[in-house]
Amino acid sequence: MSPQASLSILRHELRLIVTDPGTVIFVILMPLLMVALMKDLFAGELAAQGFTGANGSEFAVPGMAVAFAGFGVGYAGFTFFRDHGWGTWDRLRATPASAVDILVGKVTPTVLVSVTQLGLLFALGGPLFGLRITGSVAALTALIIVLALALSAFGMLITAFSRTMNQLNAVGSVGGMAMAMLGGAWVPLTAMPGWAQAVAPALPTYWAMEGFTNVILEGGGMRQVVIPVVVMTGFGVLFTVLAAWRFRFEDTKIYYG
Amino acid sequence: MLHIEALHKAYGKVAALQGVDLDIAPGEIVSLLGPNGAGKTTIVSIIAGLRRADSGVVEVDGLNALSRSSRVRRCIGLAPQDLGIYPVVSVRRNLRLFGELAGLHGSLLRSRIDDVAETLDITDLLDRQAGSLSGGQKRRLHTAIALLHRPKLLLLDEATTGADVETRGHILDLVRSLATDGSAVLYSTHYLNEVETLGGTAVILDRGRVIARDGVTELIAAHAVPVVEFTFEGGVPDHIEYDGASTQGRQPMIDGDRIRVPTHDPARTIAAVVPQITTGRLTSLEIVRPSLESVYLALTGRRYDEADREGAREGHDVSAS
Repeated sequence: MSPQASLSILRHELRLIVTDPGTVIFVILMPLLMVALMKDLFAGELAAQGFTGANGSEFAVPGMAVAFAGFGVGYAGFTFFRDHGWGTWDRLRATPASAVDILVGKVTPTVLVSVTQLGLLFALGGPLFGLRITGSVAALTALIIVLALALSAFGMLITAFSRTMNQLNAVGSVGGMAMAMLGGAWVPLTAMPGWAQAVAPALPTYWAMEGFTNVILEGGGMRQVVIPVVVMTGFGVLFTVLAAWRFRFEDTKIYYG
Repeated sequence: MLHIEALHKAYGKVAALQGVDLDIAPGEIVSLLGPNGAGKTTIVSIIAGLRRADSGVVEVDGLNALSRSSRVRRCIGLAPQDLGIYPVVSVRRNLRLFGELAGLHGSLLRSRIDDVAETLDITDLLDRQAGSLSGGQKRRLHTAIALLHRPKLLLLDEATTGADVETRGHILDLVRSLATDGSAVLYSTHYLNEVETLGGTAVILDRGRVIARDGVTELIAAHAVPVVEFTFEGGVPDHIEYDGASTQGRQPMIDGDRIRVPTHDPARTIAAVVPQITTGRLTSLEIVRPSLESVYLALTGRRYDEADREGAREGHDVSAS
């Protein structure tokens, strides 16, 4: 493996993002708008759970952050399909860069975008919506990083199984949204049916919400988020292993169609 | 520099390569010639590590290329058949990325970018967005990417497809100059005239097999005689005598509505054959002069352009698989 090659690809991918920043801006602005629209709806629910004085942003900010991070699942895959479409995939493969160099170089920017998106939402949550984070910022950061890694790995898994861009879009969008919804990011799990509450722990988004709630509302520190961090890391590893098992570098992927 | 032995590859039930042997020495230009579907792209892809061979030996500079190691890929420069550039960044950024991946950095990378840009006449375009270039300019950038690290083995797969006359000239000049500098060049093409222009060694590939390998001049001298091709409507005549048609023992070939008569004296052949045509309707008469076209015809019994169209229809080369 050559860190230099990964770094070259990573820099290049970031440059490509900068040339077309619309998607990144969208996934940062839209959740802010959604929080503004929805936070008051959750104030009552939080009060019912005993968090008196909560203004609803304590649920809405992490919820929308997770939901829109889920929407971004397909972005990791998009970078691969785009290279097939531009004919640059085979060119990359023919360079001395190894498969791992290429994967690391292409997926890392997606993780960085996710971390930036999540981080900005929490950072802006205070001044814009009165969000108070009562726990450890380090714990919050750890949760953000492992969530971004797990979702990017899920994106890779979808990519490995998708042959066309349309398949990636369909599964990425619907899968990401379903994962966020069933994980309790759109509405509190207590307001969801019993079967949904039973299914939720099987999703990384559930553990992300558990961890965020712990840090924001219950003053949790690193010790209190160990389980969510470990479980999400486990999801990330599982998705990565499955993606690596299924991913074929020589497969033809159809950009559109 | 390149040694290929008994290379086999199949896509499902379609045998793309059936025991290909090929050697290229440093400084040698080998034109890999064959109609669509002959297996050219498959060979190039296997050498570059993009496809797996079913069996056989591929060595580049003495290293096993089938192991797809980074050391082997460092020796190779590949310009694939389909354009491969990033359209939303500048020409310079495209060159920079692939230069870095080939191990070039700093002032060396900058000077190599300037060198290839000058060679392919894209210096003025370096800061233009690649997507805004004309087709020929894109093709030149595409080729330049393969040259940045001055590879020991250059693989150009249908490098002039869709290129304008100027670009085609640039690329052919470049191939000659690289060979002069010591690079081994495998130039895959289905354009016969390009191979004749380049000279050097030609390897003719047909249905996954090498059917001839020699200098272009030698191939023409060894295999090609003029051929007179008679095309009929309503079937070929039942019986034609070829006495006095100057065939010198070579057998005429019947292919559907056509009769092809190899001859050293086309005029005598025409004079001997035409008076005998009493049935069927002669719709065209063509003299195929000695060339790689007639070499292909002599070796396979098929016209090259027909085989090319047939291959394109079947679409069983790697690009379509």
